[in-house]
Amino acid sequence: MQAVPLLLGVVVVNFLLISLAPGDPVATLLGEYPAPPEYVAQLRREFGLDRPAPVRLALYAWNVVRGELGFSFAYRLPVVTLVAGRLGNTFLLMATALSLAALVGVGLGVAAARRRGSGLDTAATGISLAGFSIPDFWLSQLLVLLFAVFLGWLPAQGIRSVREEYTGLAAVLDAARHLVLPAAALSFRYMALISRLTRASMLEAMSQDFILAARARGLPERLVLLQHGLRNAALPVVTVIGYNFAFVLAGSALVETVFGWPGVGRLLYDAMLQRDTPVLLGVLLMVSATVVVVNLLTDLLYAALDPRVRY
Amino acid sequence: MRTRMMAAFLVTLLATGIAAATPTEPQRGGSAVVAIGSDPETLNLGITTGYAVGAVAASIFSGLVWIDARGEIQPALATSWTVSSDGLSYAFELRRGVKWHDGRAFSAVDVKFTMEQVTGLYHGRFRPAFQNFEAITVTSPLALKITLKRPYAPLLRLLTVFDCPILPRHVYQGEDITRHSRNNDPVGTGPFKFREWVRGDRLVLERNDAYWDPVYLDRLIFRIIPGAALRVTALEVGEVDQVADFYLPKTDVDRLKRNPNVRLRLGQPTPSIGFVFINARRAPLDNPKVRRALALAINRVQIVTQAMGNLARPARGPFGDGFKWAFSPESDFNRLYPYNVERANALLDEAGLPRGAGGERPVRLRMVYDAARAPIAASAAIIRDNLRAVGITVDLQPMDRAVMIERIYTRPDYELTVQTFTSGGDPAIGYHRIYASAAPGTPFVNATGYSNPEVDSLLNRAAEVPDRAARGKIYAQASKILAADLPTLMLFDEIGVDAARATLRGVWIGAEARDRWDAVWVQK
Repeated sequence: MQAVPLLLGVVVVNFLLISLAPGDPVATLLGEYPAPPEYVAQLRREFGLDRPAPVRLALYAWNVVRGELGFSFAYRLPVVTLVAGRLGNTFLLMATALSLAALVGVGLGVAAARRRGSGLDTAATGISLAGFSIPDFWLSQLLVLLFAVFLGWLPAQGIRSVREEYTGLAAVLDAARHLVLPAAALSFRYMALISRLTRASMLEAMSQDFILAARARGLPERLVLLQHGLRNAALPVVTVIGYNFAFVLAGSALVETVFGWPGVGRLLYDAMLQRDTPVLLGVLLMVSATVVVVNLLTDLLYAALDPRVRY
Repeated sequence: MRTRMMAAFLVTLLATGIAAATPTEPQRGGSAVVAIGSDPETLNLGITTGYAVGAVAASIFSGLVWIDARGEIQPALATSWTVSSDGLSYAFELRRGVKWHDGRAFSAVDVKFTMEQVTGLYHGRFRPAFQNFEAITVTSPLALKITLKRPYAPLLRLLTVFDCPILPRHVYQGEDITRHSRNNDPVGTGPFKFREWVRGDRLVLERNDAYWDPVYLDRLIFRIIPGAALRVTALEVGEVDQVADFYLPKTDVDRLKRNPNVRLRLGQPTPSIGFVFINARRAPLDNPKVRRALALAINRVQIVTQAMGNLARPARGPFGDGFKWAFSPESDFNRLYPYNVERANALLDEAGLPRGAGGERPVRLRMVYDAARAPIAASAAIIRDNLRAVGITVDLQPMDRAVMIERIYTRPDYELTVQTFTSGGDPAIGYHRIYASAAPGTPFVNATGYSNPEVDSLLNRAAEVPDRAARGKIYAQASKILAADLPTLMLFDEIGVDAARATLRGVWIGAEARDRWDAVWVQK
């Protein structure tokens, strides 16, 4: 129930911030030549920009309560239609990136913890350092240069090929080829984060008494590591994945822009440049709602992983 | 003998093989992928001058005329026209047998409707010309006459698909033009029909078999690629076939020149210029001596070589030198304002702005510009350095385009800004707005506050006189005044660069890379 006032607060704060920002949406929309003043006035009326900000805010909040997110200035389409058309693409990219980050990060973290101080541990630390240090957009461009330009293995941009019209399995494979580079670029930082965290948590868990007890009971090392060690070490990792969901979403704006991936992040980026207020507000509201839901799911998962946690 | 015959056979075989491998006759089939930077806001080209809209919709609609690569006017929906000797009446004969994409017949009524109800009301370039229309008379189903209040020399240039695309009356009549549902799914007479628009990703058009000229491509696809660098990469790896000048980062041109799979067109026939608006409302910039000092202190050659990568020419006059007939040697900036720090310093001293103890003059100017445009940012940085040498401090204020428009045009709050304008094919269409008195708050016009009735009058006359030589004389008069008053300092004439894959043939027969995709074919 706390989510409702939180989301309303998000609407109000975002509206005020965007309204205070300089830049006229109508002027940015009408090309490079002076548009007829009557047409400009007509658009301002249509967009509701001729009304005072408090009135616009009240109307917007009322529409949000009724489930309407308004009409895009730039696309002249309902915001819900626009966002719905992009949401799937973003979730596909995020889910792939997060899964990749979790799989590789946990694997690397467990291996590094198991062989602490070894060459593998040092290599994992080095990879993590690179992951924290390299900006997404730069990594994206490097990946494009290497895999699309020099090696020619993967497409440089887009979500699907446009020359060929694939169907069925060929379409899935085509989409997968387009997904590899953006997902890798988006996942790298989180892979590093998860890897470091998993290593630290594993080292802590493996020094607990229950691990000693498990080993004393003669359990194979693999079971000790995965069933007893990793299960306990996973709690902070899950929290961090859930907590970072919003950051992955934010990062997707850059990665989607670099790779021409038609997702919500790019819609947000374009809307910022075009001062498309309804789209900005709509996307930010949907992102906020998604973050609230993901945090809730994280809490529930936390309880499932750790029987001591009760709500 | 046998050896000779064998050799002749082999030569013939080889020649035939080469001919087959590189056919020169257009081939039907295939698709071309064109990179654009953003989704068009609409596909109704009659209500906007937006570049992306034109890129796509120019292949869906047609104009009465088109402009070829030499800059000459050619027939499109209008097959011929006559202009009365007083320049007040234009009679057009329209093309027979033209069908709209929905199968209905095109007629002169559509042209009249478009001009009166669409482009005359909403199109930023066509509307000023339309306000000079006395009447549009449909004289037969395929003929019409336009009568003007005053002559207007560049009228025919404003009848292209980019300025006055002809829309179907049967679709739009009685409806809200700007919010019509067919604006996203348009019906035109152009060489391609609308098929699909996946926003943020692609726009697909397919061949209109009923078009009056042969159309070779099966599909024309527009790929939306927001990143400038990625557009070039996509061209290099063959994911797109063309990147037009508007979307091509100039820093990549040298690399593209070395790529055998890419061909370039350097120097489009439609001139464009880059310049500095000097806000003459603010002291000390209200003093012409100070503005002249800036002109002498700014190194235009350095800007062309370092900021524009030599894809420009240092500007030589108030209207550049893109229109040779409008250029006046009397107002040549090379003679009037060569880079000369000493003369600039002397003028600033004369203007009562002496250097202080630290060598700085009591002048601090804010340079506002669009941060997304790298050549503009580099030009601004060079200007800052140039002016520092004469004791003037310049604060660079890069900002995004929306804010820049507000700071320069809507609520002017700047001292200097670097801008670029396209001519639209005639100084009267695209360049007069740089100097003509303008109502405050209007984007993309004279933002300096400079208003000179004599200049306004000369510009109006230059637009009315049909003869180029006579127009040239009027521009020479205007140039003389403007070169002395210097409300705006021209920096460079741009050299546009279009890039395409070498396999794309028949490209760029029009002045605009966005035009005439019907003639394009793919060499397989």
